[in-house]
Amino acid sequence: MDLDHETYARWLDRMVRVAFVLTTAAFAVYFFGVLPAYVPLDTLPSLWRLPLAQYLERSGAPVGWAWLPLAGRADYLNLAAVALFALMTLVCYLRVIPLLPRLQMAFALAQVLVLLAAMSGLV
Amino acid sequence: MDPATAPWWIWPLALFALTYLLGIVAVVAGIGGGVLFVPLVGSFFPFHLDFVRGAGLLLALAGTLAAAPLLLRARLANLRLVLPLALAGSIASLFGAVVGLALPTDVVQIALGATVMAVAFLLWRTDPAGQLATESDALGEILRLKGEYHDPAVHMDIDWRTHRTIAGLAAFAGIGFFGGVFGLGAGFANVPALNVLMGAPLKVAVGSSGLVISIINSPAAWVYINRGAVLPLIVVPSILGIMLGARVGARLLRTMPASVVRRVVIVAMLLAGIRALLRGLDVWI
Repeated sequence: MDLDHETYARWLDRMVRVAFVLTTAAFAVYFFGVLPAYVPLDTLPSLWRLPLAQYLERSGAPVGWAWLPLAGRADYLNLAAVALFALMTLVCYLRVIPLLPRLQMAFALAQVLVLLAAMSGLV
Repeated sequence: MDPATAPWWIWPLALFALTYLLGIVAVVAGIGGGVLFVPLVGSFFPFHLDFVRGAGLLLALAGTLAAAPLLLRARLANLRLVLPLALAGSIASLFGAVVGLALPTDVVQIALGATVMAVAFLLWRTDPAGQLATESDALGEILRLKGEYHDPAVHMDIDWRTHRTIAGLAAFAGIGFFGGVFGLGAGFANVPALNVLMGAPLKVAVGSSGLVISIINSPAAWVYINRGAVLPLIVVPSILGIMLGARVGARLLRTMPASVVRRVVIVAMLLAGIRALLRGLDVWI
C-alpha cells in the first residue's frame, strides 16, 4: 500500500478509537447527571421541537466557538467530544500532505483551507 | 405515548436502538445511514428538523470515519481519486449547509420528502453493476485517477481507472450541495457517480464513497456546530449506535441476503419520504 494511504488509515484508525471511548464516557457523564448541563435535561423536551433561532433565543445557548469555555458542563463536554469527529479529516490531511505528489498536494491544501474556513465560522 | 409528555431519557435510548439497527442495515445495503436517519427521525421523533439534519451529518461522518481505515487498507478506497472529488463536494456542501439552515422548515421537509422518495425509486431501478472505464480521460491521466485492488472473489488483482473526470467533479459538487442542505452523507448518489458515470469498479466506488463522505461532511458539520444546531443528546447516542451497529453489519455482510435488506430500505425510505412530504405540506403533522 502507498505510504500516504497507510499513514492516513493509521492516524484515522487511532483517532476514531480514542474519540469513541471519550464520547462514550462523556455521554455517561451527561446521561447520569454526573456534571450539570448548561441547558438542563428536563427542559430540553420543551426546546428541541423549536426552530434553531427560537431554541438559541430561549435557551441562551452560545454559537460559534463561545461554547468552548463551557466544556465543563455536561452538554458542552459532549459537544467537544462530537467536535473531535469533525476535526479528524483536517488532522489526517495535515499529516499526509508532505507524502502526496505535487498535484494531489494542491488539492489537499485547498481542502485544508475549506476545513479551516468552516471551523472558523466565516462560512 | 404522547411525545410531549414522555420523559427526556426515552429519546436518547430510542435513538441508540434505531441507529444501531440503521448501522447494520446501512452496511449490508451499501448506503449511508443519514439517508434513512434524517427522514425517519425528522418524521417520527419530536425534534426540530434543524437538529435532526445536524445529527444526520455527524452520524454519516462518524460512521464513514470508522470504516475508512479498513477501506483504505483493502485498497477499496483510493485517496488520489477522492482528493479532487471531495474538494468539489466540500465547497458545495458548505453552501448547502448554509442554505439548508436558512430555508423555511416546511420547504426543507417537502424537498427532503421528494428527494428521499426519488432516491428510493433510483435504488429500485438502478443496475448496481455499471460499466467500467477502459481508458483514462486526459484530466484523469494528469490526476492519476487509477489504481489496483485484490478481489478475493476471483483471486485476482484488478487494475482500474476512471474517465469523465469533469462530469464527475460536477456531480460531486451537486451531491455535496444536497448533502449539506439535508444533512445526508449521500452515499446513494456517490456510488453511481463513481461507478456508472466515472467507470470505477463497484467495490472501489462503494469504498471510495465512504471516504468521500467522511471528508465532505467535515466542513458541513462545522457549519452546524458553529450555528448551535448540534444537540449532544440527539447526536451522541446516534453516533454510538451507528458505529456499533456498523460493526455488526460488517460481520453480517457475508451471510445476510442483500436483496431482502435492499427491499426493506426502499420501503422504509418511501414511508419516511411520504411522511416528510405530508408534514411539509401541513397535511400530517
